[in-house]
Amino acid sequence: MKILNQPIKVMAIFYPDGKIQPVKFRLDEKAVIVEKIIKSYEEKIVGNKRVVFVCIHNGKDIYELKYEIDSKTWFLFKK
Amino acid sequence: MSNIIMHVDVNSAFLSWTAAYEQQMGLERDIREVASVIGGNEENRHGIVLAKSMKAKKYGIKTGNSLMEARLMCPNLLVVPPNYQVYVRASKSLYELLNTFSPDIEVFSIDECFIRFMDLNKEKAIELAYSIKEQIKQVFGYTVNIGISTNKLLAKMAGDFEKPDKCHTCFPEEIKEKMWILPVENLFMVGRRTQPKLNKLGIYTIGDLANADFNLISTLLKSHGRLIYAYANGHDASTFKPPTPIKSVGNSSTLKFNVEDIETAHVIILSLVEMTAWRLREAKMMCSVVSISIKDSSFGYISRQKKLQYFTDCTQDIYKNICSLFDKVWDKNPIRQLGVSVSDLDEAKFQQLSIFKDRNSLNNEKLDKVIDKIREKYGDAAIIRGVFANSDLEPLLGGYPDDEYPGMSSIL
Repeated sequence: MKILNQPIKVMAIFYPDGKIQPVKFRLDEKAVIVEKIIKSYEEKIVGNKRVVFVCIHNGKDIYELKYEIDSKTWFLFKK
Repeated sequence: MSNIIMHVDVNSAFLSWTAAYEQQMGLERDIREVASVIGGNEENRHGIVLAKSMKAKKYGIKTGNSLMEARLMCPNLLVVPPNYQVYVRASKSLYELLNTFSPDIEVFSIDECFIRFMDLNKEKAIELAYSIKEQIKQVFGYTVNIGISTNKLLAKMAGDFEKPDKCHTCFPEEIKEKMWILPVENLFMVGRRTQPKLNKLGIYTIGDLANADFNLISTLLKSHGRLIYAYANGHDASTFKPPTPIKSVGNSSTLKFNVEDIETAHVIILSLVEMTAWRLREAKMMCSVVSISIKDSSFGYISRQKKLQYFTDCTQDIYKNICSLFDKVWDKNPIRQLGVSVSDLDEAKFQQLSIFKDRNSLNNEKLDKVIDKIREKYGDAAIIRGVFANSDLEPLLGGYPDDEYPGMSSIL
């Protein structure tokens, strides 16, 4: 797995109860559908809040999406 | 059961925070693992060591060294620029977390604070300190030292015993065994100037000072002598200070070049006032005292303040008053550092109309509000004053809000 921390365009559902669910994102001009989120948690390293989504692609490839609260930006963190 | 005071101190704060932030941003290096320092920009004459890694410390590098000195001591030194935004957020979130353990927190500086617990026994206190330390490491990604005792002085001394990532106690009955054996310069408030004076008297350890003749110390070092004598014996009469509302807002900056003409000085004052007045309005306060501080190239220092006849939060008003103050006090020596600040603050809810105000004040206040909104939405540089348009000078100046965190205060 490679660490990228690359800002990306994401389509996500923001539920009324505050839950966030990424649906698809754009990588190298290709749309990638988020197939399955296996884990989600909040990290607060040095007080910088990011919601982390550990996702699975093609049933085996694990990658991480992160939503940074302060900057309202999505990152593809690991792939 | 008694009151317990804990002193929480972030290990090499600026360096640990930068390192943890870099890891969050996906950088593979860990600057804590190599000889590295956080250092200001040398071109802008901010080139001193602000924090150092444990490996850099082994080379003899100290906080406050110039980067040139530090590089001579360690040629492969990694110098990383500071990021104050990260530090302010890290500090605020640390204090938020500590607040969940006790409502009694006294912020001592950006990376140090005291926490008070009522009716806690020693064993429970030690257990709690370890769990706080571990929680900080796990949640925020950096380490702290926690000192545990019954007053602030002893807690602070305990926190400094051995670093990093440690909890220490220094209860009154442990002073002899833990504190008296340390060199006297390790005692809080004994600095570079006091140490040689004490050494001349044959006082080399904190224990020597604690057992010295009180009258001798008192006569030679006056009130400061009496204070450090009490500290050496573990006595600290200071009270626990709850958070107070802000008393002043200010910004200062060491300049890229020495300023020798009044026009440039005024423009720099404007850039500082832009930042200060913006922060004042953010805090929803108004001021009625403005002040200026000037440090010249030979490190001479002048500071003056002026009481206004009215309360204001208007950039233009504050700027004009500070300029007139500056014109009166500046002795034409080349300027190295300029600072502005406003004080005697009052909430901006009600405002007495004043006949002393500039005729344009009301319009300027409206203009300020619009500018603030534009900056909030599109960034600091989205709208700037015309004088900065074709110049190298920064339109807003003063990165580190020095009033929010008074830095190492000499008063416990």
